[in-house]
Amino acid sequence: MSDLKLIKNQAEIELKKASNFGELKQVFNTYLGTKGKVTQILRSLVEMDKKERIKIGQEANLVKNYIKEIFEQKSKHLKAKSAKESEKKEWIDVTAPGKKPSLGHLHPLTLTIRKVEEIFQTMGFSVVEGPEIENEWYNFDALNIPKDHPARDLWDTFWLKTKEGKMLLRTHTSPVQIRYMEKNNPPIRIIVPGRIYRHEATDASHECNFYQVEGLMVGKDISVANFKAIVLEFLKRLFGKPVKIRMRPSFFPFTEPSFEINMTCLSCQGKGCSVCSKTGWLEMMGAGMVHPNVLKNAGLNPKGLQGFAFGVGLDRLTLMKYRINDIRLLYGADLRFLNQF
Amino acid sequence: MVFSYNWLKEYLKTLPQPEKLADLLNMHSFEVEEVKKEGKDHLIDIDVLPNRAADCFSHYGMAREISAIAKVVLKDLDVKFKADKKLKSRELVKVEVLDKSSLSRYSAKVISGVKIKPSPQWLVERLKSCGLRPINNVVDIANYVMLETGQPIHAFDLEKIHQEKGDGLRKIIVRRAKKGEKITSLDGEKYNLDQDVLVISDLKGPLAIAGIKGGKYPEIDQKTKTIVLEAANFDPQVVRKGSKKINLRTDASLRFEHGLDPNLTELAINRASSLIQEIVKGNPSSDLIDYYPKKTLPKLIKLDLSYLKSLLGMEVKSKDAAAILKRLKFQIIKSGVDYLLVKVPSFRLDINIPEDLIEEIIRIKGLENIDPVFPVSSLIPPKKNLEIFWEDMAKNIFKEAGFNEVYNYSFFGEEEASLFHYSKDELIELENPISSEQKYLRASLIPSLVRDVEKNHKNFKEIKIFELGKVFRNEKGFKEKRMLSFLITGDSFYEAKGIVDLFLNKLGISNIWYDDYKPTPENSRSIVWHSQKAAEIKADNEEIGFLGEISPSILSELKIDKVVVCDIDFEKLLNIASEEHEYRPISRFPAVVRDLAILTPQETRVVEILNIINSAGGSLVRDVDLFDIYQGEELPDGKKNLAFHIIFQAEDRTLSSNEVDRVMEKIIKILEEDPERQVRK
Repeated sequence: MSDLKLIKNQAEIELKKASNFGELKQVFNTYLGTKGKVTQILRSLVEMDKKERIKIGQEANLVKNYIKEIFEQKSKHLKAKSAKESEKKEWIDVTAPGKKPSLGHLHPLTLTIRKVEEIFQTMGFSVVEGPEIENEWYNFDALNIPKDHPARDLWDTFWLKTKEGKMLLRTHTSPVQIRYMEKNNPPIRIIVPGRIYRHEATDASHECNFYQVEGLMVGKDISVANFKAIVLEFLKRLFGKPVKIRMRPSFFPFTEPSFEINMTCLSCQGKGCSVCSKTGWLEMMGAGMVHPNVLKNAGLNPKGLQGFAFGVGLDRLTLMKYRINDIRLLYGADLRFLNQF
Repeated sequence: MVFSYNWLKEYLKTLPQPEKLADLLNMHSFEVEEVKKEGKDHLIDIDVLPNRAADCFSHYGMAREISAIAKVVLKDLDVKFKADKKLKSRELVKVEVLDKSSLSRYSAKVISGVKIKPSPQWLVERLKSCGLRPINNVVDIANYVMLETGQPIHAFDLEKIHQEKGDGLRKIIVRRAKKGEKITSLDGEKYNLDQDVLVISDLKGPLAIAGIKGGKYPEIDQKTKTIVLEAANFDPQVVRKGSKKINLRTDASLRFEHGLDPNLTELAINRASSLIQEIVKGNPSSDLIDYYPKKTLPKLIKLDLSYLKSLLGMEVKSKDAAAILKRLKFQIIKSGVDYLLVKVPSFRLDINIPEDLIEEIIRIKGLENIDPVFPVSSLIPPKKNLEIFWEDMAKNIFKEAGFNEVYNYSFFGEEEASLFHYSKDELIELENPISSEQKYLRASLIPSLVRDVEKNHKNFKEIKIFELGKVFRNEKGFKEKRMLSFLITGDSFYEAKGIVDLFLNKLGISNIWYDDYKPTPENSRSIVWHSQKAAEIKADNEEIGFLGEISPSILSELKIDKVVVCDIDFEKLLNIASEEHEYRPISRFPAVVRDLAILTPQETRVVEILNIINSAGGSLVRDVDLFDIYQGEELPDGKKNLAFHIIFQAEDRTLSSNEVDRVMEKIIKILEEDPERQVRK
């Protein structure tokens, strides 16, 4: 065997044996470095005769390329191996908790109000607002609730100290019906969300200030059947599934006929539970067909005009939607509660 | 009102089982609060609607309602008795009505030969089941008749009523009480009366508070032999006013307040006479004293059935409508395919217009029979509500900035008022607050926000909250205004200021600047703010809000650590907010950042330095960021160090290092023109 063949075999064995990149480089230099064995042979070519030079030169170049190739292969392999090893040292526990960015939170009532506004706006209702301090005319008289009448006892009222005249905190959003109809001609399609006040002792289901959304649709031939379709659509969209309702007779001075809307209790699917006092039904809203006196009081001629009005407690909707059991949580500013929305 | 199931059954041929009855009532008439078994009876608590009190606050009235909804036959009330032909009420009693506007009818009847004893057991039980206390047979019958017919009636001992000297008649006078007049009621309570209260009186003084409560003096006792029964129809508002005045509500006043059928007085007296004869063995007089100057006429209403169809969105045939109304004791005077002329029974005070009849028809027929139909209407798009649009936008920005939204009460108390230095004149006070903590309407959102920290600081180290809501002030009249306030705990003035900048920029308001808070001398509320850490927020030249740390005196009172609060007038924002937003092209050429640190006197304002950098640097200075303010021992006395990143960029070329150096030199030269300032190299 010639020297070169011997060198080639040996280099191959040594290169393959190298266990890290440093060793590999050293072996490589032993053969192809400036003083390497193959390099020396190549350098000695000049001293040879032509015939020999061609033969050995060719052979030596082949060996050189072969060693280079082995070296490349091996070095790729070693680099990948060492990279893997160093990654191993960076092991992390994927079950450890992630870092949450600190986000803010909107109040659950805001979320409900927005949802309600969105649903009604898609059905062509404009959203309007009105003042929270009202006079007797808008809060009572114009709504066909006469003075010194027991019907007024349905609304426990906060009165304000005044020098003259009587002022109060609105007990419902209904005054905005009058305010709006005074300035706008039918057809009318509005909802009125807002804060209202009742002179009531607070407990898990009562508050002295809370939120209501009023709805009013007035035009030609607007009927109870229309109201029913709108309210079913509203509830379906709000709760994300069709909801069963029932209508019961009721009394409100500003509507005639008047009715109350109950909806299947969502907690027990109508079987009866503590949330619905075992009835399977939840009181949802008061509603009715606008009383002709209300239209008159707003300066409209009731002839040929009719429509429906309704009022929904937004707090109650919120409590139902999120299964909250105490209305006072909504006004308690407890961040442990508010952080959940 | 609580109804006895067995009692109701007396007036009806058949009656559905209690639970079934409750369902019927719920769907067609009134809400049933409770059905409770009591001995052999069931007690049904029915929430009679206020407009139906006139005809349904009574067992007979409720039975009449049930007869219509359950389609069962109603029996007549037994009002028969054998009158004593020789006994004439008019020869014993004279009724004189002085206040004619306060009642429409006053009926009275004398019954002689009564023997006062306890009531029979059945009567005692009936009264007890409805929550009344049995007294004696005559009084119990009077109460029984009220629960039965809805008409309050009252019995006096005839002999206790004073006689007129001339004709010897005992005089009953209906008049207003005189100021200072007093009465002791049947249950021994004393009441001071005045002109707002109507009384039944004799020649000497009040016998009863009209429509509210009987007096002690003429009461029925063991020795009573002859009684006079009265049943009146008092004006609802007179009774309501009187009852409020003396703060006394009774079963009688409740019924009068809601109004009653004037025909009831006679019916009730006859019914009571019948029962007294049967139970007490008395002899009713043959006549009735009846003051009834203006007879109430029955109402006639024409119902247009095409209107009914349009209002309900459902057709009801003339025949069906008529049948339902008849079940409710209405009379059909005339009818056609498309109309009904209806006579309203006198006990239905609540029926006045065609819509009332439509309600009667549909509630008996069942509201569930109306099928939902979407309205047909013009496609008018809803109007955009800008207030709500900007409110939503504002809330979203604060949420994105990590704030929690809170809803606080619209009230505050004396404590907040004094702690935050509100004068009584500027606050709106409630006439009837629930508690002293809710005596005023809130004049600012800040007190509650600060209190929210008090509630939460045990559980949270860092608190960022905001509220958008109405505040109320008395400024030449009651004013309400939308405000936005936020709060950050800790030494966070600059964080809060950054939030204000970000918030206002997002609302399209860019020309914002801050000025020292300058309280006017008369403004005591300046005490709310930390004297050195408060600013006015300005947009152009208008003040739109305040920003600052709450004064240490308030914080120590509330035992909480530092908080920074911002109060923004949302109504002013609404006027200047804008959705317009234009993008600024991104330069293709690289930016160069140089740092600049400068030693300045402590009182130097950052804005002064910023202005110099910007004006000296000219258009090449794209942005200047303050990244550090340092005050420390190693610095000379009275000095602070400000450090800025200055970002240079040109729109049209890559800036050379030399070019930037020249601008920096210019900036430094101008900054150092003031010998108090020294740029650190």
